[in-house]
Amino acid sequence: MKSISISFAILALLLLLQCGGGKTDGVVIEWWQFWTDPAIKPTIEKMIADYEAANPGVKINITDLTWANGHEKIVIAFSSGTAPDIVELGSDWIWEFASTGQIAPITDEVVKDTSLFHGWTPATLDSQIYAFPWILGTRVLFVNNALSTRAGLKDKYVPANWEQMKLLCYKIDSLGEDIYGFGANAAEKHTLYKKFLPFYWSTGGRIISEDGKYAVISSDRCYQALKFYKELSDSCGMIDTQRRLEDAFLAGKVGVIISGDWLLKRIKRGNINIDFVTSLIPGPEYPGKSFVGGEYLAVSSKSPHQREAIRFIKYLTSKENQILFCKTNYSANPSHKEAALDPFFKDDPNLMTFVSQLRLSEFPPPDPQWVYIEDIIETMLEEILFKNAPMVETLYEARNKIQKLIDSK
Amino acid sequence: MKRQILAGNFLASPWIVTFLAFWLFPLFYSFFLGFTDFRLMRPDYNWVGWENYINLFRDKAFIEALINTFIFVIGTIPFTTVIALILALLVEKKIPGQALFRSGYFVPSITSMVVIALVFTNLYSRDGYLFLLAKMLGMHPPENGFLLSSKTALLSIMAMDIWMSVGYYMLIFLAGLKAIPEELYEAASVAGASGRQKFLHITLPLLNPVTVFVIVINSIKSFQVFTEIYVMTKGKYGTSSAVYFIYESGLNRFEFGYASAAAYLLFVIIAIFSILQLGLMQRKHY
Repeated sequence: MKSISISFAILALLLLLQCGGGKTDGVVIEWWQFWTDPAIKPTIEKMIADYEAANPGVKINITDLTWANGHEKIVIAFSSGTAPDIVELGSDWIWEFASTGQIAPITDEVVKDTSLFHGWTPATLDSQIYAFPWILGTRVLFVNNALSTRAGLKDKYVPANWEQMKLLCYKIDSLGEDIYGFGANAAEKHTLYKKFLPFYWSTGGRIISEDGKYAVISSDRCYQALKFYKELSDSCGMIDTQRRLEDAFLAGKVGVIISGDWLLKRIKRGNINIDFVTSLIPGPEYPGKSFVGGEYLAVSSKSPHQREAIRFIKYLTSKENQILFCKTNYSANPSHKEAALDPFFKDDPNLMTFVSQLRLSEFPPPDPQWVYIEDIIETMLEEILFKNAPMVETLYEARNKIQKLIDSK
Repeated sequence: MKRQILAGNFLASPWIVTFLAFWLFPLFYSFFLGFTDFRLMRPDYNWVGWENYINLFRDKAFIEALINTFIFVIGTIPFTTVIALILALLVEKKIPGQALFRSGYFVPSITSMVVIALVFTNLYSRDGYLFLLAKMLGMHPPENGFLLSSKTALLSIMAMDIWMSVGYYMLIFLAGLKAIPEELYEAASVAGASGRQKFLHITLPLLNPVTVFVIVINSIKSFQVFTEIYVMTKGKYGTSSAVYFIYESGLNRFEFGYASAAAYLLFVIIAIFSILQLGLMQRKHY
């Protein structure tokens, strides 16, 4: 009996402590974010410390998420009413949370800033802004200069259109059995479509009509882009996962790949000795478009500290902090237009390629059903690229599926 | 006495609460959800009756995942069972390094599936050892590696799974072999029985309950194949399984109603399969 009484006493004490704990004067803002890399985390912590010092009474609590399960955690937190005040979202998640009313519209607070930043498309739904663009990420063409010069092309050669790209890839591919011209993505989830869509967008093609009523993917433009991509993939492509393609590129086994600024960071941090150049993704005749995604900051619609949260977001995304962030993380695409004018970007030709490509990049169409549309496009690509399904029929099938989704809204 | 009961209940309460909250409640709640169109983050949902179940049978992705799961179950269980039995017979013999062999075969089954799946992803890739070995032996492995071809991806995962599982089932068979009375073999030897006859008429029949156990347990585990698929192929190249489909529907698209229906359908399939196996294999008792 004595032991039971002791157990109860301990339990009661713990409950009392729990009730009394956590009480803080002022405002506590909970922030969930994905930057866990030891190279960047101290910078984020320093930004928070500076902000707290400049704003007495405000405390920022940071919680780290991983890309492996961060999305699930955020969804569950919103569903269970335990979402943080500020949450970092991937660009293609915003519509999902905005359309269900989980994140607050912040149009009035940010409308004055829109001309200063890139990347409002995925943050906007029904003319309302729901998130603030922070660090964006586009993809560019990486060309192994050592291989291209060995293949007889001039030093620092970069293709400006599809014909030149084909020529470059074929010439590199003919250097030897173990060398491939083009790094073509395998059926990797959330990746393959990002590599194909730039070619489609470069033709001026769209997935959904401007008024959002019709699926228009089964166009002649898409057929042309598919034909070009499949030709590269089949005749001179190394087909593998993104990570392994990058490994092969760095090992001098692949001449041309499409990748993001993470590859620049890998080369720089790993002191990898490779002679390469970056260029804009070519279009049919002129430099074309690329895919862009990014990190956004949104405020929970149930947050009691929305105003303070937006203030902190504006601080994080300020020009100075974005430059600091990009310098520390070797990121190439700050959302702040003036930040991109910093010498850090201007003096580095590779970073400048990203800055230039950002102006020629597209986000996926803003649609709460994008997760399903993405799935349909990836299945279509897998059928055509890896199972040799007839292009026209498969394109029509994909169009019909997307149209069905649009009609079901 | 009352105080003792009270104390017992109090001490067991953490487990009881956990069981009720995290096992029993989700079990019944997900059954209920299977008849709704519930999606996370959408507060409103409707009762849809059997619609989710009907849609599952019309869903090409689910049917493909279900077929793959059956291929996985039927393709791995016979091999795992036979190899595990052979290994158990081999390591039961008193040979030099017996303990080393036993531990060696068992180690894969206590290693993290994620670790093994990552190692095999490399082994199966275009510059992996298994790929290069296949080439050296004059075989024609798929150009982009075993996991990036619909013809070989599922088979490769099955082969890895067999390699990983045999050690565990070997140990169960070994326990079964130890339980067979030595006198039976002695009596058979006196009667002039050969080794083959002893195996067929003593070992195999007396191992029947163990074999049933191994097959049923392995079937249940194989029907739930997920981790290796998630790590190695993310369900691509014809490798999606029923549980992977449930994961995609539930935790990627957050269609909890649909995913719950798929989970209960899988539960029914596993139950039927297990009952059939028990019925077929437990006809004879020794």
